[in-house]
Amino acid sequence: MRSRVAVWILGLAGLALATGSAMAQSGLPLPSPVEKELAARASNATEVTLGKNMLGFAAKFMDGKDKDEEAVKHLIEGLDGIYVRSYEFEKEGQYSAVDVDKLRSYFEAGGEWSSIVRERDKKSGESTDVMMKMVNGQPHGLFVLDAEPKELSIVLILGPVKMEDLSKLSGIGGLGVLGDLEGNGNKNKDKDKAKGPKAKTGGEE
Amino acid sequence: MRRIVLIPICFLALAVPVVVLANGFSGGFDAVVSSIEMRYHVHAERIPFLGLVSFVARASTHDGVRGMHVAEIEDFHADVNGEELNKLVSEKLGPGWERVIRETSRNGGDQTLIFMRPEGSRMGMFILDLDGHEMDVVQMSVDPEHFSESIGKYEHHHADGDGE
Repeated sequence: MRSRVAVWILGLAGLALATGSAMAQSGLPLPSPVEKELAARASNATEVTLGKNMLGFAAKFMDGKDKDEEAVKHLIEGLDGIYVRSYEFEKEGQYSAVDVDKLRSYFEAGGEWSSIVRERDKKSGESTDVMMKMVNGQPHGLFVLDAEPKELSIVLILGPVKMEDLSKLSGIGGLGVLGDLEGNGNKNKDKDKAKGPKAKTGGEE
Repeated sequence: MRRIVLIPICFLALAVPVVVLANGFSGGFDAVVSSIEMRYHVHAERIPFLGLVSFVARASTHDGVRGMHVAEIEDFHADVNGEELNKLVSEKLGPGWERVIRETSRNGGDQTLIFMRPEGSRMGMFILDLDGHEMDVVQMSVDPEHFSESIGKYEHHHADGDGE
């Protein structure tokens, strides 16, 4: 009997510790090891992380007086999170294509992603990847990785997203890249190896 | 004999999480500032009559801003590891706070951290800004509607300016 009580106490103690550590976690991905390296090499690094709680809270205070605000409110209250990283470098060549590939694979690992824009400019070394996560045939996440010779930007939006409303989020810090995403997407669709999002069922996180 | 062994084991098993959780939860503005003072061997200047300043801010903004805490650290010459500073603030700030913005520049010399947390119908904001050799730490509670209106005013100003 006494040993059973002791087991319970130890179990409760373990649970209390686990709860405490779980509180620190959010639904968004933890930074990849590459990001730490990039941040150390960058002259400027900006990180914006908005979890579901914070987005829900922000949505409560949007009165939706105009159409844009109404659309943003509608969009963000359903989102699971917004994750933005931007690294600016003093000189070219401070990150490599391998770093970009590592970043891409790290974020792709979190679900079933389909590439919708893939642009590579060999002359300038610039590249843009836009990927969409499909869940039951519906867009449920957007990932943008934009690499310029002296700048690298990552935007990850998790949750149900509507492409037509995304440009309205461009006012949020670091999401400027979304402002012309729609235009870029259409522009690049024909000339690059872009492919439409494939609906993949059962791709839950 | 078994009981004698069991009692201290159970005590330790309960004491460890209590201490760990208590450390995590007994945070706040003062805990962050004290930890920074201890870690970097600096002295934070508390603004005199801040209670009065906070009251004036509350009245002049029609309750838009309240509960202000400000600490200023001058002659900050310590080398700062951004990751370490971020961890220190996150740990000492306490539960409910989420870091929404982190900006690092000049190879870690400049750091800006902004944390937020919902406080009922208000929003708690904690801002730490290290600019060269000066660090400012501010915490306040803002009314998001007032805040949104104020930002709107500046946006309109900006738009007007662009149009000119």
